[in-house]
Amino acid sequence: MTQYKLHYFNFRGLGELARLIFHYAGVAFEDVRFERSEWPQLKASMPFGQVPVLEVDGQFLSQSYAIARYISRKHGLAGQDDWEQAQVDMYADCIKDFMINGRPIYEEQDPEKQKTLMSQFMSEKMIPHMAVLENQLAKNGGVLVGKDVTWADIACYAFFSYVSVKHPDILKDCPNMSVLINKIASNDNIKKYLETRPTTEI
Amino acid sequence: MPNYKLIYFDVRGRGELCRLILHCAGVPFEDFRDFDYYKDWPAIQSKMPFGQIPVLEVDGDKQLAQSITIARYLARQHGLAGQNDWEQSQADMYVDCIYDLHNATVEATWETDPEKQKELFDKVKQETILPHLEKVEQHLIKNGNGHLVGQGLTWADIAYYAYFTTPIMTLLGSEVLTKAPHLKKLIETVGNNHNISKYVETRPVTSG
Repeated sequence: MTQYKLHYFNFRGLGELARLIFHYAGVAFEDVRFERSEWPQLKASMPFGQVPVLEVDGQFLSQSYAIARYISRKHGLAGQDDWEQAQVDMYADCIKDFMINGRPIYEEQDPEKQKTLMSQFMSEKMIPHMAVLENQLAKNGGVLVGKDVTWADIACYAFFSYVSVKHPDILKDCPNMSVLINKIASNDNIKKYLETRPTTEI
Repeated sequence: MPNYKLIYFDVRGRGELCRLILHCAGVPFEDFRDFDYYKDWPAIQSKMPFGQIPVLEVDGDKQLAQSITIARYLARQHGLAGQNDWEQSQADMYVDCIYDLHNATVEATWETDPEKQKELFDKVKQETILPHLEKVEQHLIKNGNGHLVGQGLTWADIAYYAYFTTPIMTLLGSEVLTKAPHLKKLIETVGNNHNISKYVETRPVTSG
């Protein structure tokens, strides 16, 4: 039996997607969590000085999406053939872009500038791309690719469940995405995980 | 052989890795780049799945967006992705690292004031590129055969070649690889690949 160890901070952040995939797939793993204060001692031992890192039978894999894709492929959550897997990658990348492009806006200290950046981000990226995801869900029977949940759907859950805490109406124009988020949240394995998951700010 | 059309601007930017993979693999494709931004882009944009490019069109009717996803798909289809799931994930990891470096460098790349550009680039170099190089050099040495993953050339090697030969790197970062001789050699090896060097000789010269 493969030994999986996921190393990440004791918050959701970039590590949560891998945790959710493991739980959804019902695959046992060691969820190694550390506090920010412990990080300076651990950093040098990580392959690129960053986390999350997945340890698989003693070998290391970095980069949150490489990790998510690897465990999804191994456990039937990546798509049924090469083309489906590429479509899954594409939708997951859309979510990644939301995170990458949204981050500097949240880090902007000047409230006026932040407001402008946020408004631009919403109108130029978030709203049009959420519409693409929404249309795809409507066209494809409630999941993004193929017939079953893939890690792209789980990535949507991870992102929108996180964002909707500060922005509860983020999915007001996306009923199909709302249904997907609830579908993932209602999965037995995910429900059980959420009951005992540490409550963290991010 | 599928019919490929790669749609991207007439720059290297986020399309170049896909082009290099196709050329390296000796796979013919339509390199659709000679369109007028002001005249033609709005109409093209409306047909793109996310209103962005690059987009790969396969056999005239299937579309794939997102530069790294396209590159991964092409690498997998044409023997450049790694020999098994683990190697493929390692290659994914390295390409994600390069994607992070690209994102960190994008502001400097398109800055038109040379002094500001150098300032921006130097910051990225100190904070992001050099620390990363230190780690990559160790991993390269450990892999033991000059390549990043497995026993031979993968799209991870090509991604490092693409990033470290970008116009801004050539302009401002020429001594960046002096502390990473194994990576420097890998980049030269990829550059000397027959298909890649043939393409690069005739590739349009662009600022990014």
